Amino acid sequence: MTQSVTPDLSARVGSVLLKNPVMSASGTFGYGLEFTPFYDISRLGAVIVKGLSLLPTPGNPPGRIVETPAGMLNAIGLQNIGVERFVTEVAPRLDDLGAVYVANIYGRTIEEYEAVARRLSEVPALAAIELNASCPNVKEGGIAFGSNPEGLSGLTRRVRAATPKPLWVKLSPNVSDIGAIARAAEEAGADAVTLINTLVGMAVDPRTRRPMLSNVTGGLSGPAVKPVALRMVWEACKAVKIPVVGIGGIQSAGDALEFLLVGAAAVQVGTANFRNPNACVEIVDGIRDFFVRERIFRLDDYRGKLLLRE
Amino acid sequence: MPHGNPRFVHGKILHNTGSGIFYRMEVAIPERIDFVPGQFAMVSGWPGNDPLLPRPLAIFRSGGVRGKGTVEFVYKVVGRGTALLSGLHAGDPLALTLPLGHGFEFPGEDRSWWLVGGGVGFSSVFPAAAALEGQRADFEIFLGARTRDQLPPGEWIPGGAVPGRVHLCTDDGTAGFFGTVAAALRDRIDRRRPTGPARVAILACGPREMLKAVAELALPLDIRVQVSLESWMACGFGVCWGCVTAVRDGEKSGYRRVCKEGPVFDAREVVW
Repeated sequence: MTQSVTPDLSARVGSVLLKNPVMSASGTFGYGLEFTPFYDISRLGAVIVKGLSLLPTPGNPPGRIVETPAGMLNAIGLQNIGVERFVTEVAPRLDDLGAVYVANIYGRTIEEYEAVARRLSEVPALAAIELNASCPNVKEGGIAFGSNPEGLSGLTRRVRAATPKPLWVKLSPNVSDIGAIARAAEEAGADAVTLINTLVGMAVDPRTRRPMLSNVTGGLSGPAVKPVALRMVWEACKAVKIPVVGIGGIQSAGDALEFLLVGAAAVQVGTANFRNPNACVEIVDGIRDFFVRERIFRLDDYRGKLLLRE
Repeated sequence: MPHGNPRFVHGKILHNTGSGIFYRMEVAIPERIDFVPGQFAMVSGWPGNDPLLPRPLAIFRSGGVRGKGTVEFVYKVVGRGTALLSGLHAGDPLALTLPLGHGFEFPGEDRSWWLVGGGVGFSSVFPAAAALEGQRADFEIFLGARTRDQLPPGEWIPGGAVPGRVHLCTDDGTAGFFGTVAAALRDRIDRRRPTGPARVAILACGPREMLKAVAELALPLDIRVQVSLESWMACGFGVCWGCVTAVRDGEKSGYRRVCKEGPVFDAREVVW
């Protein structure tokens, strides 16, 4: 009789310990509370809460999402309640849920990023801060922080100094050299990089001649982006020594395993939560089942073990 | 507040049959669910990733006993998702998240209720008729369509045999009142004089232009109006923030989620 051993799925992103490598991606999971009718969210590695800004943000006018082949475009405009209400109203409710939380933050200026990070440093429930350096514009020049190594380095350095919490930097895929961007975050003091955020895309209605999104362009996510995301995560893993968290079109345990194999320390699941609220826990269970079947005892025995032709 | 906690369940289609331009689909689900008229489900059943997102369908009826339930939907083919749904057969699996959203409210007061459905919008207001029948409340039904063939079959209309209860309206005059639902409502309001439209409440679902016309007609006459809105949505339970509509909030306005704070809104709040 063979005895099945429960594999050890625990993962580590820098100093942050996770019971398994599956996290929910920011902007697809609310503050976690919205999923409690479906399952116990402490079963996840971590919950990344929806992007928080210094002040409440109304978001973009309707025409915010459009479905595309095997994917979707969104231009929500980071509608959120602002950091103050999060800290006073939401954060106290998170403790009881027993999950590991990471707050995603966003600012229009470096000063706003710093202020949000400073305020969140006072929230014990947060294990880390994830810097959304993937779409916003600076105060004056309109250059995206995340689109060049210098901009990203400056932002990361300033926020790094503003908080003692572990700092993860979420990278944009809309760049020519993801390795250079990841290295810039590492050298500026990031504890981890997470990628990819959405790919900038567009859809128009041929009859009305109008863009489908009020914002004209939006971010592409879902299975359509997975091959691009996987390639970028692989390149980032080769470029830096800090942990890389893989994100992009993960719908199944098999998808998650691909990211782990190319070297991701953990993964985030985003758009899949929309079509199946149980997606994240089904992926956790699927990874465990795969490890049992393949007789893999620990995540570390599998992670980064991509076989390449010599 | 949303009514009741949603569940994600796997169901099996019992039947999925076309009737004119509408399909009526009944699904066996693991548990009986209670729903408030106006609430909806996110439904998907096709294999693969394309289309990616489930489709929101108003809950038409639910039944069953403890440990075993059924839920019924009425829909019209409007795009790829509903076209794929219409091709599914008895025995096919379906994934459903339900019940979702904030439904119609029925304060227990002495009112005449006018239920207004435009196009397939009747699927959201007919369940309200069943609830009102239970309260022994007085109600009338106004149904609008472009043409006769796009009205629901007569046997689907709750209490359709009661004289004076049902008002059919067609844009081309092929059945009932020749004109829009809003015009038929104006006509009905005029006939209600001298008592006037006092103590009438309208529950409406249909195209946004229709809802706007109904609100603009009824609100100045102090008729209370609840509207069930439609929107593209990715999740249906409040996390994607893709489905918002502009609403008045005191002096200010803001975006609220059609899937969570809606789909039913007080028409006074909606910024058309």
